Amino acid sequence: MLEQSQLHAIEARCTQEAAPRCRTSCPLDMDVRAFLEHLAADRPREGRKLLERHLPLPAVLTAVCDHPCENACLRRDLGGSLAVSALERYCMKAVPEQSRPLIRPPKGQKLAVLGAGLAGLTAAFDISHKGFAVTLFHENTREDALLAAFPSLDRALPEAELKALEKFHVSFVSASLDEALLERCTEEYSAVFVDASCCAFAPSREETESATLLWRGNICCGGWESLTPTGAHFASASAQAGEGRKAGITLQRIMTGVSLVASREGEERKDRLHTPLDGVQPEARVLPAGESYTAEEARREASRCIRCACMQCVKECPFLQKYKEFPRVYARKLYNNASVVRGTRTANVIMNGCALCGQCEAICPEHFSMADLCLHSRRDAVERDVMPVSAHEFALEDMAQASGPEASFFVEDPALAAQGGHGATMFFPGCQLAASRGEQVLAMYRFLREKLPGGVSLHSSCCGIPAHWAGREALFASHAETLRTVWEQAGRPEILTACSSCMTALSLALPEASVVSLWEKLDNMLTGPISCSAPDVMNVQDPCGARHNEAWRNAVRSLAAKAGIRVEEARRTGEESACCGYGGLVWNAQPDVADAMAEKRAGEFSHPVLTSCIMCHDRFAEKSESLHLFDILPPTAGKAVTSTPPGLSARRAGRMALKEAALEEFLGIRPEHRHDEEPILLRIPDEVRQNMEKRYILRQDVVTAIAGIEESGAKFLNRENGHFLGSWRPRNVTFWVEYTVDDDGGFTLVNAWCHRMVVPGAIQPATKVIMEERVHA
Amino acid sequence: MSLEPNFTTDGGDWVCARCNVPLEQIKVQALYMHSAFDVFLPRCPSCGLTLIPRTLAEGKMAEVEALLEDK
Ligand code: SF4
Ligand code: SF4
Ligand code: SF4
Ligand SMILES: [Zn+2]
Repeated sequence: MLEQSQLHAIEARCTQEAAPRCRTSCPLDMDVRAFLEHLAADRPREGRKLLERHLPLPAVLTAVCDHPCENACLRRDLGGSLAVSALERYCMKAVPEQSRPLIRPPKGQKLAVLGAGLAGLTAAFDISHKGFAVTLFHENTREDALLAAFPSLDRALPEAELKALEKFHVSFVSASLDEALLERCTEEYSAVFVDASCCAFAPSREETESATLLWRGNICCGGWESLTPTGAHFASASAQAGEGRKAGITLQRIMTGVSLVASREGEERKDRLHTPLDGVQPEARVLPAGESYTAEEARREASRCIRCACMQCVKECPFLQKYKEFPRVYARKLYNNASVVRGTRTANVIMNGCALCGQCEAICPEHFSMADLCLHSRRDAVERDVMPVSAHEFALEDMAQASGPEASFFVEDPALAAQGGHGATMFFPGCQLAASRGEQVLAMYRFLREKLPGGVSLHSSCCGIPAHWAGREALFASHAETLRTVWEQAGRPEILTACSSCMTALSLALPEASVVSLWEKLDNMLTGPISCSAPDVMNVQDPCGARHNEAWRNAVRSLAAKAGIRVEEARRTGEESACCGYGGLVWNAQPDVADAMAEKRAGEFSHPVLTSCIMCHDRFAEKSESLHLFDILPPTAGKAVTSTPPGLSARRAGRMALKEAALEEFLGIRPEHRHDEEPILLRIPDEVRQNMEKRYILRQDVVTAIAGIEESGAKFLNRENGHFLGSWRPRNVTFWVEYTVDDDGGFTLVNAWCHRMVVPGAIQPATKVIMEERVHA
Repeated sequence: MSLEPNFTTDGGDWVCARCNVPLEQIKVQALYMHSAFDVFLPRCPSCGLTLIPRTLAEGKMAEVEALLEDK
């Protein structure tokens, strides 16, 4: 399980929650983006609430603020910065006071403030609103210092807001601001603030601690003048108020005896948010026709806000969109999920929805990897035995079939086998090419044998990637051992693979083997032009397994060029390519997400797409015109049996057919029974077959079920239509089959469904049910 | 987390083909991952063969299975 500190390091990589530039440049941490969002949505009251929550003396401050947010605004070069300051003033005028803060009886400690400049008043405002009594010493009238610093300020504003401060136990005392007063205050008060704009004896900014504005003892200072880039002095309202606020935090800590420096990182104003600006159109600032904004003008101006945000990965990934959050939040949820001992683990669905494709990591400016996080969580869930069994069960059974006696085989190069020799190369087509394109696998094998020196062997099996993706490390390791045994018996040949997932898995399983992509090899072998009937212009889909495999991607493009295809790159190609939905077993755990991925990616192609991964091809084939490299290369073009990709049952049958054909052709072995000889004659109408696919029910399951039910006679009869119904539980799934008996003794399937619960009496008595079994555990 | 207690067939006039008797709603226990639920299902009164309708398998049962898997 992740340590809390690891989580924080991972979380911190996603900066989506970081403040936009308007906010980081505001010394008062004003949530400008949310404020503008309220105005744009015609909610000025909510806007004013935000001003009151973030700003001290909001009427005065908004009237005199020098708005550094506007200099930092990302709209600046796209029509002009948002008129934040004018909009704030509009909002203060348009809407009456919204919040009624609680006035508490004052606590024991008291603060003295020397000087009623903006810094002093801010410190007094903040501290008094925290429930401490404040004595504010000033010269002349209490508004004079403000009016001197900001001559355009309308006296009515400070008059009202200073009067309001009195209710919060701020007492104004006229006094001469000198060192004698300071000495008296340091003794009589728990803490003291010196406003540098009013006190001649105040230290320079450099004489105070920059993180706390502590001068000495219990005295803080703030309110200095600022310098323009040309060196002119001026009173920056935002800077002075910001200093009053920063010092206020220190003063409160002095009064309550808390560390002055601990956990104040939040006050640092760092720009960490990455806001992509591509596609943002320039829009000119809306200027008020009269003296200040009307409601409509304000709404229009506020609507120009870009709503700075990152979300770059989320925009690309249907999985990240599904749960309506962004990686930082997902990281926290996955962590919390892993900490659940008993109770509902809501984040199980999160970790199993990721295709582990790596696109987010490639796109993210901080390289946040959801794939690492989700794979880690899966491994953790498997280890603690809380992984939902059904999430990957079908895929793991498929892996077992592809690697088991039914479908897996190894053939030594027939020319060398007789003398006990070994091919220098081993062709490893991968279980999905075997499932989908058996004829072409054989054609390619013949071609490789003919052209490659040193002989070529053929190994058909699953590479083990499903176990890796499912987080089942023990299964992956034992599968790797099986692969290693074959590889060593084959004389440790170079492995040629046509699947990028195989490439990933084999490099993990057999790190000492040299694993080369078939496409690179073919690119070297096929030097001249390739004649084929492919479209002139195509997009290329880079499979996620080749995201970091430039040689693979280049070889594909080079082969396409030789075939006379002009490749037009789709958006997000190469390292940033998007997943077809096969990756990470999401097709098994969350088919809706996988479909959305295929849909989205297919929609990004403007031409027929050329794929180098058979799963990409098969998943796009229903949505858009798609060709696999096998369809254009001379050894294999025109040798596909069907044009539509096979379903789940047909994939298993395809592997068995390949094994039969290969053993017959290269070893002269004829099977006793062919794989498609079934014990009963079964007819499955197309729409029933499609429903079975969705429910992961295989033809073989139905055949076995009906054969078994007919043998035992344990079935129901619907007297209305003559349908029979029975069940079969070969593993921890119960299959129900509703069927008719046809005149020729065959059967026609009407419907099939399944469930995992065990109901005694609802299963074949002959079937031994092992409760709580966990497949592949 | 409980199953609605009573589930009949999804329509039709079902009998036990072996015993040729109509089905009755009888209480049985559905079991999954260390949990058991009482539920009334159509069952042959003579041999005990029990029917699980598709709407139950793909509805409530699937829901409870998912909940239990996440426990
Ligand atoms: S790309 Fe995604 S993970 Fe990276 S900072 Fe942006 S929102 Fe966060
Ligand atoms: S565009 Fe909006 S959110 Fe972005 S910096 Fe400007 S005001 Fe802030
Ligand atoms: S599916 Fe791919 S892009 Fe989406 S979160 Fe997972 S690894 Fe990232
Ligand atoms: Zn019966």
